[in-house]
Amino acid sequence: MKPALALSYGFPDGAMAKLASHPDAVGRIATHDLYDLPALDLSKFSSLLVSMHVDQRFLASRADQIASFLQDGGTVVANGHLAYPFLPEMIGFHALENYGLKDLAVRRLLDHAIWAGVSENDLTFRRGVAGFYGRAWHEPPEGATVVHALGTPDRPLDFIYRVGKGRVLFHGGNDLWQYGGADSAGRILPQLLHWMFSVEEAS
Amino acid sequence: MSLAILDGGAFYHHATIYGPRYRDLFDRSVYMPELTPEHLEGIKLLIVPDRINPDLLRLRRQILIDFAERDGTLVVLGENQAETWLPGVNWTSRPTNFWWWLEKDAKPEQRLVSPDHEFFQAVPFADTIWHFHGVLSPPSRAQTLIDVPPDREGRDAGGALLYDDRITTAGRLIVSTLDPFYHHGSNFMPATTKFLDGFLPWARRLAMA
Repeated sequence: MKPALALSYGFPDGAMAKLASHPDAVGRIATHDLYDLPALDLSKFSSLLVSMHVDQRFLASRADQIASFLQDGGTVVANGHLAYPFLPEMIGFHALENYGLKDLAVRRLLDHAIWAGVSENDLTFRRGVAGFYGRAWHEPPEGATVVHALGTPDRPLDFIYRVGKGRVLFHGGNDLWQYGGADSAGRILPQLLHWMFSVEEAS
Repeated sequence: MSLAILDGGAFYHHATIYGPRYRDLFDRSVYMPELTPEHLEGIKLLIVPDRINPDLLRLRRQILIDFAERDGTLVVLGENQAETWLPGVNWTSRPTNFWWWLEKDAKPEQRLVSPDHEFFQAVPFADTIWHFHGVLSPPSRAQTLIDVPPDREGRDAGGALLYDDRITTAGRLIVSTLDPFYHHGSNFMPATTKFLDGFLPWARRLAMA
């Protein structure tokens, strides 16, 4: 399978480095600077990995390139809050206001291979503190598979939707690849890699 | 004269700069990849928010330095690798303790060095306290506003988290390790919102003076 492409943004990204050095990922994740995107032939890559830290304003200027990549069967994994329209069919986000603990509880609506064996509690809390995994919700495109919501089921946090022959995994919080710890959330990394590189699902 | 801000294009820059809470304070926002000297004409104070792409800052460093040399005030916040492009900045990274406030009898390390500085009339010292990613060694005649003592594990000799430098350029460089745009704009950490509630109106007053 073709390699994935991680877009870098000028800073060292330890979490991405950890993902790329995972035994299941070695040699399968290439990195290019975000601003080199116009010169890149995305057909050489299977997935596009978009950190919460990227310049979305620039990415939105490449929305057509990203949409074509998806139409042709590419996978996009995007994190953060959507401030600029770089993904097809997506509109802006809703930040939680005056939130309390119950608003930050990650709720699983559907089982999915990426989060198999990961407890809601380990997504909600890190060292007893809630909110790292998500503090905003997005309106997913029609037909999206919503895996997790924030607080109540009508606030989607993680969802997957099809675009042409491709698919988008959107996670509306801190980068998914930050979750490599010792608790059950540590299962996300290898399971995400398996999902990204599994041929039958991507075809 | 007026207040300008650089926009790095990340979602948290968007939320902090264009969100309803602060947007009316800025006279001009300049998208970092497009920065030219013309954008800074008539600007008295320019804020470089935390987490602007440091490759772009290095590429356009002369525009920023020239701005300060023309009597501008340049505020440079944290995580911008300022030591690689801004004169006088020396930085030592310190592994971040995001969890200091969970420790038993938690007491922040930060020390108020210059309580009479005008900054603290706008921003209470308590609102400057959250985790930090490293320490600065200011030029000798710059004024340190907040510092921390040497690292407990001996990894650095301590240093400033915020200083005011009227020596290095003809204008003024206000340099900090703090990263409020990221945390406020990601809807996390209320201390950073309180910081901006004081800091941004103060920056505006400086720009208008």
